[in-house]
Amino acid sequence: MKYRSQAVAYWYFAVAMGLFGLQIAFGLLAAAKYLGPDPLINVLPFDVMKVVHTNLLVVWVLTGFMGGTYWIVPEESRTELYSVKLAYVQLGLWVVMGVTAIIGYFFRWGTGTKLLEQPLPHKIVIVVVMLMFLYNILMTIRRSGRFTTTEGVLIGGLGMAAVLYLPALIPFDNYAIATFYRWWTIHLWVEGVWEMIQGSMLAYLLIRLTGADREVMEKWLYVIVGLVFIAGVIGTAHHYYWIGVPHYWLPIGGIFSALEPVALVGMAIYAYSAMRRSGLQHPNTLAVHWTAGSAVFTLFGAGLLGLAHTWPGINKWTHGTLITAMHGHAAFYGAYAMIVMAVISYTLPSFSGHRSERGEPLGYWAFWLQLAGMFGMTLSFATAGIGQVYLERVLGLGFLETQLKIQVHFLMLLAAGTIFALGAGLFIWNFFRYRPTFEALAAEPTAPLQPARAAV
Amino acid sequence: MTRQQARLFAIVSTALVVVAFAGMTVDSHRRFPELTNESKLTPQVIAGKNVWHENNCTNCHTLLGEGAYYAPDLTKIALQRGSEYLKAFMRDPSKFYDEQKVRRVMPKQNLSEQEISDLIAFLDWIGRIDNQGWPPRPILVSGAAIPGTDIVRGERAPQVTGAATSNEPIALGQAVFNATPPGCYACHSISPGVNLAGPSLADLATRAEQTLKDPAYRGKARDVAGYIREAIVDPNAHIVPGPAYSADNRSFMPGSFGKDLSPEQLDHLVAYLESLK
Repeated sequence: MKYRSQAVAYWYFAVAMGLFGLQIAFGLLAAAKYLGPDPLINVLPFDVMKVVHTNLLVVWVLTGFMGGTYWIVPEESRTELYSVKLAYVQLGLWVVMGVTAIIGYFFRWGTGTKLLEQPLPHKIVIVVVMLMFLYNILMTIRRSGRFTTTEGVLIGGLGMAAVLYLPALIPFDNYAIATFYRWWTIHLWVEGVWEMIQGSMLAYLLIRLTGADREVMEKWLYVIVGLVFIAGVIGTAHHYYWIGVPHYWLPIGGIFSALEPVALVGMAIYAYSAMRRSGLQHPNTLAVHWTAGSAVFTLFGAGLLGLAHTWPGINKWTHGTLITAMHGHAAFYGAYAMIVMAVISYTLPSFSGHRSERGEPLGYWAFWLQLAGMFGMTLSFATAGIGQVYLERVLGLGFLETQLKIQVHFLMLLAAGTIFALGAGLFIWNFFRYRPTFEALAAEPTAPLQPARAAV
Repeated sequence: MTRQQARLFAIVSTALVVVAFAGMTVDSHRRFPELTNESKLTPQVIAGKNVWHENNCTNCHTLLGEGAYYAPDLTKIALQRGSEYLKAFMRDPSKFYDEQKVRRVMPKQNLSEQEISDLIAFLDWIGRIDNQGWPPRPILVSGAAIPGTDIVRGERAPQVTGAATSNEPIALGQAVFNATPPGCYACHSISPGVNLAGPSLADLATRAEQTLKDPAYRGKARDVAGYIREAIVDPNAHIVPGPAYSADNRSFMPGSFGKDLSPEQLDHLVAYLESLK
């Protein structure tokens, strides 16, 4: 690492890895409950496992984003962080918030609103942490006077993620209206501003790994952001099907969310063409795997599998079935879990002298086992979901009888989930097995970056 | 394209879609009161919504198709099952489903009677939201029979002839039985031995004759058609035995069909059910 304060990122990544491991453990337990009967029904019922599984995902991915940002911004702005202490205080507060929220869920202390289960005090802490984080980053940039497009997009994404969390704080008496605004947070995060974050991390990694021309990469980053928002903002409409909103959201949702893969195709072409044109200038081929993998798996999971059930005529039958779980798993993994693991894989050799620059063989096993496992899980949910839609929604068989008939897919799910867990376990083990050493390299003289514009 | 042009593209296109989205949001607010029957959003419905949230229902069930996918969708459950059934179910779900058989059951939630009533009021309100007719056909919690195919486990076909397009009262009655509302088939199968939330209606006419002769019969009907009509309009006139069908001498079948069905629909439905021998 070039700057001493980049060490902060390691501790964010370490927390993210711990939470990732827990997320997978609870996910496996939840999957086992599909086979039933459930011996833990009165101790750890499905609803608790589900809340813990999804909340851990959101928390660890956000931790990864923050860690990644604390790594990227000093390098892009060529300066130490404004306040290392603030970054650690922020991490501590974040961990306390996350851990107490998870423990609370075991005692039904939550709002019972999907993905926004955090109790109000925790929601307030989340906002405070986000503000501390943005303050620290903005002060760093302001002090350096250097502000690149890549970090502009990154900070724009993070700032808007904080703003879009605010509707989650408002209570509504009308369930339909509450659902309407819940998607302002959830959808506009994952199909809007989080994609800005993913896009900018992709740009950063591609510039470093392939040596692609920054001017070109940042120009196309703008185009991707434009495409993400054209489809993503109005694409919120696909969550407004069948929930008590005016009819026009149906055709509008169909058309705009059919456009969503365009931005993701753009992102995949972006990664591929950068590598093809510029070759690889960096020895860390493991990070290249994760970077390219994220772009491709996003196109598959978020783009194609989303498209598969986004048209209202299709969604009428698939809405509220395991088809949604198929899309959700592949999309979140490809876009967000993989981009965080790409940044971690890229930075990891900098945190220890013992690591191979190319990435350890164990790291490749972790990559391929995770990919195989997630692909298998996606197929399991897909086949289970197709069976469910046909038997329950089209033929009219009862829910419970249908679930019995698709048990074999839940066995597949558990098997694929185990393979995924093995890959995740190896990644986490590989992360923790060397003691970190934090030595700042003497900054080598490089050609000055072209700042996108003067800092604020 | 230069970088400045690319940036302009990102900013202008984002601004345009945000304006369009905001416009549709404002318009939706104009329409919400009518689409969601806001005039019926009583304090009890809101209290029921709080019960729904406090018990984390959405992380197993779906409502309006949103939530988890581990337990059945409950959008129309209050309209399908009626409040008597739901009250008994919420008091102790384990009486209704056997975990060994269906592999998953609802854990008992320890709700107070007030909370149960509130929750049912909330679910009833949800069921009446104008949501573009979703689901396109009722989602059944349990039903081994496949409606429309009529034959299960290779057993004999019900003696109903004629398509729903025919003008025969029996065929029209079958269409009423399979239509939503009233969605009779959500709780009653017409296959022998397939008991859903309500008893199977296979051989209904034959069994009705026996019931009428039985001294335990307490209703006022004199013939099979009268008995069937009475059972639809006033389910409490004679309670069919079985712990899953009634509690405290109150049938779980909603008592609203007498009001909701037109006299012709009722006639046709009786004709159809009378044909099940």
